[in-house]
Amino acid sequence: MEKLDIPQGTLDLMILTILAREPMHGYGISQRLAVLSRDHFHVNPGSLFPSLYRLEQDGKLKAEWRPTENNRRAKYYRLTASGRRQLEQHRERWNRVSFAVTSVLEGA
Amino acid sequence: MTVLHRIVSVLRWLIYRNSAERDLNDEVHAFLDMAAADKVRNGAPPGDARRLAILDLGGIEPTKERVRTYRYGALLDEITRDVRYAFRMCVKTPGFTFVVVLTLALGVGANTAIFSLIDALMLRWLPVANPQDLVQLKFRTPEARGPAAESFSYPIVGALADRTEIFSGVAGFSAFVFNVGAPGSIVRVPGAFVTGAYYETLGLNRAMGRLLARDDDQRGAPLVAVISDGWWARQFERAPEVVGQTILVNGVPVTIVGVSPRGFVGTNVGTIADMTLPVAALPSVSPEAAPLLGPGNFWLRVVARPAPGVSAAQATARLATVWPQIAEPLIAPHWSASRRKAMIEATFQLTPGGTGWTYLRTLYVRPLLLLMAVAVLVLLVASANVASLLLARASARQREIAVRLAIGASRGRVVRQLVIESGLLSLMGAAVAILLAWRSGRLLVSMIALGSSPVAFDLTPNVHILGFTSIVAIVTALVFGVVPALQATAVDPSPVLKDEMQTSSSRSRVLPSLVTAQVALSLVLLVGAGLFVRTLQNLHDVDPGFQPRGVLLVDLGARRSALPGVLLDEVRRVPGVVSASLSTHTPLSGSIWSEPAVPAGQPVPERDNAFFVGAGSRFFETMQIRLLAGREFRDQDGADRPAVAIVNQRFAERFFPGQTAVGQHLSATVRGQRRDLEIVGLVANTNAAGLRAAAPATVYVAYTQLSGDFPTTMEIRAGAPIGQVMSGVRQVLQPKLPSAPIEVRALSTQVDATIVQERMMATIAGGFGLLALAIACIGLYGLLAYSVARRTKEIGIRMALGAQRSRVMGLVLGRATRLVVIGIAIGLPAAWAVSRLVESMLFGLKPADPATIIGAVVLLAVAAQIAAYVPAWRAARVDPLAALRHE
Repeated sequence: MEKLDIPQGTLDLMILTILAREPMHGYGISQRLAVLSRDHFHVNPGSLFPSLYRLEQDGKLKAEWRPTENNRRAKYYRLTASGRRQLEQHRERWNRVSFAVTSVLEGA
Repeated sequence: MTVLHRIVSVLRWLIYRNSAERDLNDEVHAFLDMAAADKVRNGAPPGDARRLAILDLGGIEPTKERVRTYRYGALLDEITRDVRYAFRMCVKTPGFTFVVVLTLALGVGANTAIFSLIDALMLRWLPVANPQDLVQLKFRTPEARGPAAESFSYPIVGALADRTEIFSGVAGFSAFVFNVGAPGSIVRVPGAFVTGAYYETLGLNRAMGRLLARDDDQRGAPLVAVISDGWWARQFERAPEVVGQTILVNGVPVTIVGVSPRGFVGTNVGTIADMTLPVAALPSVSPEAAPLLGPGNFWLRVVARPAPGVSAAQATARLATVWPQIAEPLIAPHWSASRRKAMIEATFQLTPGGTGWTYLRTLYVRPLLLLMAVAVLVLLVASANVASLLLARASARQREIAVRLAIGASRGRVVRQLVIESGLLSLMGAAVAILLAWRSGRLLVSMIALGSSPVAFDLTPNVHILGFTSIVAIVTALVFGVVPALQATAVDPSPVLKDEMQTSSSRSRVLPSLVTAQVALSLVLLVGAGLFVRTLQNLHDVDPGFQPRGVLLVDLGARRSALPGVLLDEVRRVPGVVSASLSTHTPLSGSIWSEPAVPAGQPVPERDNAFFVGAGSRFFETMQIRLLAGREFRDQDGADRPAVAIVNQRFAERFFPGQTAVGQHLSATVRGQRRDLEIVGLVANTNAAGLRAAAPATVYVAYTQLSGDFPTTMEIRAGAPIGQVMSGVRQVLQPKLPSAPIEVRALSTQVDATIVQERMMATIAGGFGLLALAIACIGLYGLLAYSVARRTKEIGIRMALGAQRSRVMGLVLGRATRLVVIGIAIGLPAAWAVSRLVESMLFGLKPADPATIIGAVVLLAVAAQIAAYVPAWRAARVDPLAALRHE
């Protein structure tokens, strides 16, 4: 199947959404993203990690090393209160944007 | 918040850079492991799974690099942008930038200049091998007070050099000026006598030819010399044939055996040794100084290198055990038993020696540290001034800042921008400061060099100086930059955008308190400067008992016996010469002669109790020392006549209280010989031992009745312009005394040399005080001008309602007066406390000298009024109509 480019600025929103459910490591996020997007989006770790680091630096995420279910060690990210607020704002904005874009496209 | 987080993260990265790297590495590998495991589960061959996963990833290192770029690159980008923006701001407001950079340059430059001197004098390593291992030897006899003695006799240095279990090398050295060349073309070359192990101890071995070795420092060894690289270049244009060449030193042929490494000019910091000779050569080169090699003369400074594996503490301990065993034969046999015992019981001290030795250090440590503190105060004034300027500008930029905050810049981001701006200003200030300090360095050195010997310091900016200045500049930038930045951003954007004239009340308190602080600090500096200026003035006003103005001195060395008597008569005939005389010592030359002398019949004490001066005929007339009774020395007072003496008032009062001294007889020891002296005259006291010290009891003996070699100086009172007489005297003397260049100097220079320290303190502290005053006045002016500009509307309303111009002016001047009065109220007790610290350096006045304090306060008040007048006048010129329409 042809993979789609992730639209600018939406990766953060999707990461926050995925982490809102439960803390997860980088690989898990990329897998979950593929599953949830029905395999349309495949995020490369080269893009994923910078986003994760930025969100962590901005205080939206918090990371800690924990054992995985397979007894490996992995860095788990979880949402902070500030991250949760950002998720609310961005999700609301995204809804409006996509509604607006859809309206325009359908009205044309 | 986000910027704060980011700063924390960068700081964390700087501190835990390695662990951050490891963290990233672990995370990427964990990702790969999981991806590979999934691939295996989906049927990929286990051997290939990891490789495939890495392929998916696009390589491990590129991935990590992207994260790194993201993590730090963004921040660097932002900072670059901030710096560029800050630079544009500086260019856009050239006047503001100029004032700030100049203020900072003066403040930082004062510190850099003083630090350069401290660095050159005390901190710089000698250019030798492992200077940090070198120690300087000192000793202290049991009853001695004051600092430990630093000079050793030649036999002691030799004995210490033999203790190889303690030292791998011991070097003794002493500065000396050589007359080099054939008669008629003699030049004075500054140099040093050194002991044989000198270069070996310092670890210098690279040279053209060879350096001096232990064998050269033996009695009867061929006369050899090592010259400096600088002199080699200047005198011999780096000709390699110089090695082996013979030159005349004090008329004696000496062979040059080598050139010392470039950059090395001896171990006497501040003087240059262009030529070094072994001490053993001294009797041949300078016969009159031959006694220096004996055990009774302590004249060599000693630097040593402890043996390998021996610490300074161990060396001290071993020396303490060894010294009493070896001391006996090293001590002068003619010393009294008690003095010999004290020397045997002397203890040695080892201090770090890698920075060389200089008498200047003891002389200037305290003044320089004090001036450093003064410079820091000046910098504080400058910082406060710049802070207030930045604060005022931040208000002017309130709108810009509010816009930036409103469109989403975090406060931290704007603070960073403002701090970067002040950092840039500070750096520019520091750059100018280094330039200023470097340029003014020569001036500072010349102040020290007013003394008898020239001082050579290299004050070219080095790593120490650049490092020091950078730290000062960074700290300064933080001090003056952060507070205004925090103040400026502590605003709620919306009201500012709607209405310009909104000020947080806290800012209006910070600004005036900065000005008050400047006033208070300036007062402290002015009072300090005043105390030093008055000290110098008091020293100038001291009547030394002789008249130095118009007197020329010619040092004739120790050639008294060979001096033709007609020479003096010839000098007296030189046009413009009023009178001329000979003596062994001149007042305030730093060199003294003391002997025991008591009224005849009393036992002559063992210890010296009077200053002695050998004086020829017309000495008192030439020096204008008042003759109170009796007569001067005469040419007829020859060796075959009864020995005569002239005493000063202090001596007469002590030994002949209530009697007539003239006509009495003295029992004295003169150069080891018991003499009976008849007092033929009484003269006024002179401050021969220093302007600050009380006049010492002095006995003058007839120069013509002295036997043996004595140092001789000719005094000439000039009635014509000094330069003219100088060259006339030189023309007469030089052909008669061809073996050394005739140097004619002024007695007033010799007197001035004794107050070099005080002059330096008065000049620099005075300069810094005025600098601080000027900066504080600029600060006051700036504050008032700024507040007048801001209150134009209010002033307009007041005037529209009928306020008189004079009342408006009074309003502004009143505000200035209030600030200054508060500043003075804070500054006075501080000045009082600080001035007590310098009490010991003052002369003729107390720390709380009312005249100085009143003078400083008046000066400050007047300067402040002048600074306040312009803004006040401008306030009074406000046109009410224009002001009201303006908004």
